[in-house]
Amino acid sequence: MDPAIQDPLDPLPLIAGRHGDDGLTRMIFSPIWEKTRRGWWFLFVLGLGGTGVLVAAVTTTLAQGIGSWGNNIPVAWALGITDFVWWIGIGHAGTLISAILLLFQQRWRNSINRFAETMTLFAVMCAGMFPVLHLGRPWFAYWLVPYPNRMNIWPQFKSALPWDVVAVSTYFTVSLLFWYVGLVPDLASLRDSSHSRLRRIVYGIFALGWRGSTRQWHHHKIAYLLLGGLATPLVVSVHTIVSFDFAISQLPGWHSTIFPPYFVAGAVFSGFGMVLTLIIPARRVLGLEDVITLKHIDNMNKVVLATSMMVAYGYLMETFIGWYSGDKNDWFAVINRMFGPFAYMFWLLIVCNVLAPQLFWLRSIRTNLIVTWIVSVLINVGMWSERFVIVVVSLHRDFLPSSWAQYKPTWVDWGLLFGTVSFFGTLFLLFLRFLPAVSATEVKELRKELAEHGVEATAA
Amino acid sequence: MADWILGEFESEEELLKAARELRQNAQLDVETYSPYPLHGASEAVGLKASKLPLFALVAGLSGATLAYLIQFYTNAVSWPINVGGRPPHSAPVFVPITFETGVLISGFAIFFALWALLRLPQPYHPVFEVEGFRRASIDGLWLSVETAVSSETERLAERLRALGARQVAVVRDKP
Repeated sequence: MDPAIQDPLDPLPLIAGRHGDDGLTRMIFSPIWEKTRRGWWFLFVLGLGGTGVLVAAVTTTLAQGIGSWGNNIPVAWALGITDFVWWIGIGHAGTLISAILLLFQQRWRNSINRFAETMTLFAVMCAGMFPVLHLGRPWFAYWLVPYPNRMNIWPQFKSALPWDVVAVSTYFTVSLLFWYVGLVPDLASLRDSSHSRLRRIVYGIFALGWRGSTRQWHHHKIAYLLLGGLATPLVVSVHTIVSFDFAISQLPGWHSTIFPPYFVAGAVFSGFGMVLTLIIPARRVLGLEDVITLKHIDNMNKVVLATSMMVAYGYLMETFIGWYSGDKNDWFAVINRMFGPFAYMFWLLIVCNVLAPQLFWLRSIRTNLIVTWIVSVLINVGMWSERFVIVVVSLHRDFLPSSWAQYKPTWVDWGLLFGTVSFFGTLFLLFLRFLPAVSATEVKELRKELAEHGVEATAA
Repeated sequence: MADWILGEFESEEELLKAARELRQNAQLDVETYSPYPLHGASEAVGLKASKLPLFALVAGLSGATLAYLIQFYTNAVSWPINVGGRPPHSAPVFVPITFETGVLISGFAIFFALWALLRLPQPYHPVFEVEGFRRASIDGLWLSVETAVSSETERLAERLRALGARQVAVVRDKP
């Protein structure tokens, strides 16, 4: 039997209850067709307020320059880069779920891929702001593109920073195309099940006239698979390239060959943390508990546990190599990380990223929503602290003690972090209001496949 | 212009059987419609393997080549810069951008080739005239045949009924 298909002896189903295709469509679309709830407006206004803080922080940065941030020399990269790496890492779970699990034919991805992919898009949008603002003169961002110009000069492609520009913009573009291609059949269902003329026209425009004909599915299936295949190396390459920003420098704590795999594992880890943080309340509020079941939470928690162990291995190796290299500065970086002025950040990340996920060895904890949610929030915090430790703690005490300095963020730094979180939340609320959080098409396909294997859910 | 005859079927098996029957015995241009891809539908309708993988490969390789050439020309020919003593044409450092651009161009090629192959966006199609066809994207299984000979229309509708269609609708060519 195909291991990806629901095991009849397994007590947790992929689709709970008995639903036909019509019932599933109705359930998945009901949050879109029903009247806007008060709770949604409340959160939306809150999110807009937070986005206002983002606007204020960005305006200050543009008007006063990077001087309004807490950055100094030697801490020339600080919260801006920490936030960038954190956000871009969060995006990686979406691509892993939608692309890698698609190629591995893990059926359980069908119910959560839309959710995770959307999270990827919004996370990369937030991430993209930071390097651009960090340019100091963001209005010259187009200088990063190699175009013939009067200055007679080109970007310097031997630096990791132009690699980053290409990697992140490719990542966003391919994720967007993949997301939209997967969304079109659902937009057609929305067009066909809408009751008002306006909605029918709007969803109809975005559905492009999709009819679900064999010819269309024939090419669509291949396109979806190919885009999945293209997105798969992106999961690995994007965060690898981000880690090169650090790894190809000379700084103790950065100059290390373990960075690429360690960054990728951390990215997937933090991304799954964010998916869980969002999906646990959303599945309840939207009434999607029958399609996003405890089985999905259980599986995601297993990925969290596995990636947590990989990240822990990374921490262990960094420490070991710091000692084994015999380099005084490398070893000092390790000691300073653990016992220096920012030691609390290091121990916070150990507790959040290494210790807390160990609870997931127990099945009862993996299916306990409250504990899972708390751990997922801790992972988000832990991964942010990890990036803070890598960026700020490595920089603030480099080689010569005479050049050391302490780092203190300003309100603009915190405003940007808080503001992007709010902006992300606002976009997500809009997504939940206007688009199906779960791919109705793929869940119906999943239901059919499960039924063909004689498990669960026949037409109700 | 042509008349369109549409039939809704109860089950996947009946739908595909009817599609095969109409294509092989009556040599008709058949199309099936379903809310998700059906196993064996492409074969039943007689479609050839998609050309998309070829487009993706060609576009990916062209994108990668272009990216490499741009880096080579700008950094090694037009304005060589000495960075830490590395040679002006330093292949390993050009790899990340070469790879990413290949993926980007390939992604665009798949996306636009898909819509080109499907002839989308297409705001109007005769099948949308049938109110019941709205179910095709929810849970309905539909089949359509097209005929340019309007005297054939009634006969084909009858044929669909005989093959097990539970409802048949005809969209007549507009004068």
